[in-house]
Amino acid sequence: MPDTVQASNAEVFENLRLELRRGCLVVAVLAALRTEQYGYTLRKALSENRLEIDEGTLYPLLRRLESQGLLVSEWREEDKRKKRFYKLSPEGKQILKQLHTEWQLMDSSIKEILKEQSHGTHRALSTGR
Amino acid sequence: MELIERYLQAVKFWLPKKQKQDIIAELSEDLHSQIEDKESKLGRTLNESEVEAILKQRGRPVLVANRFLPQEHLIGPVLFPIYTFVLKIVALCYLVPWVLVWIGLMTYSPNYRVQHGGWLAAAGAAWGSLWTIALSAMGAVTVVFAVLEQVQAKSHFLENWNPRKLPPVRNANQIKRASSIAEIVGNFALIGWVSYLSSPLIVNRPEIQILLAPGWRYFFWGYMCVALANSGLSVANLMHPFWTVRRAALRLLTDCIGSALFCLLMKANIVAAITAPKLDAARSLEITNSANLWMDKAFSPFALLVGVGIMAGGLYRIYRVKKTPISWIQGVASVVR
Repeated sequence: MPDTVQASNAEVFENLRLELRRGCLVVAVLAALRTEQYGYTLRKALSENRLEIDEGTLYPLLRRLESQGLLVSEWREEDKRKKRFYKLSPEGKQILKQLHTEWQLMDSSIKEILKEQSHGTHRALSTGR
Repeated sequence: MELIERYLQAVKFWLPKKQKQDIIAELSEDLHSQIEDKESKLGRTLNESEVEAILKQRGRPVLVANRFLPQEHLIGPVLFPIYTFVLKIVALCYLVPWVLVWIGLMTYSPNYRVQHGGWLAAAGAAWGSLWTIALSAMGAVTVVFAVLEQVQAKSHFLENWNPRKLPPVRNANQIKRASSIAEIVGNFALIGWVSYLSSPLIVNRPEIQILLAPGWRYFFWGYMCVALANSGLSVANLMHPFWTVRRAALRLLTDCIGSALFCLLMKANIVAAITAPKLDAARSLEITNSANLWMDKAFSPFALLVGVGIMAGGLYRIYRVKKTPISWIQGVASVVR
């Protein structure tokens, strides 16, 4: 495959990968905040689970989730610095549970579709059509 | 470190008033945590270049602040395509004719040229006027659509629509029957009017007489032939209301002949004499020459332009018919319908 086509495919893949990950961030953040954390530690926790998120995305997201009543926050002093700690609210816990169920449904649907497609491909290959 | 404070100050400038302090405190904390983390890994304090790299990686202050602002728009994605369409219509129907009229005035009116200090000065003044007009038009359209956006956001009027009110499917090669009938009537009216002008003395009243040059007879018969041919073609179009390559080519031919006749007529000094009892011979000659000059200088370029436009339209029609020809069955079905 020529280099330009490969580079173009890589770019397409990267854009779609970011789109896919963007959809997962809310669930990941809510799940991570079952334990109280502040912004930087939350970023690190997600990064350790191979979900990189930059501060420009995380903090606006945290504010949005808080404005929706899914998170609660408070400023506290730790290591001589004031930090804003976040954790799930009761509504947030409920929503996380629902999103988790939704996630599992989507996961099994995708798996089914991929299984059907791979059987179809296999059949097509074996019959020569 | 001073660089960090300057960065946070720049971000703070763009933040919404109510949340400024809160957001900056959080971003400052995050930044200091990241620097501390890196310093503990390196075992030393970061130098200015390293801090600069961290800030650069975070992004330009206005872009960082932008993510905290509510996403607003003057004209949203729903109305935007309609907005750009209306702007194009305004450009085509207002600005383009404005430019053409200016060019015409500059070319054919010496007084206008003198008043505006020659081509260069006039071009400079016109350029300024054109931008003022264009921006005013664009501003007016933008304001209207900004208001519509607010109305749409509240009432969602675009979501109330009826599929039955959609326009019928257009076939560019179809010839509307009403159009063919209008052409037949128009052509017969033209034949009747031109017949009335068969004599070179086209106006013969006590107060004024207008005599055309002997060459008028060629134009007379030319127009008669074109009108008759067009009438026949319109009758054929009425019977078979879809363009075929042959009829499109015939229409192109008659249009070209008609346009050519008109262009030649304008340049032919066709007015031989305009006389009136109250006019002396010198004045009469002056008026006659002025009439011929006007037709040559003012109408002739316009006629040429229109002729070229008509020819381009005719050629495009042939190209379009060749690309999507109508089948014989479709043609018969349309007549039966």
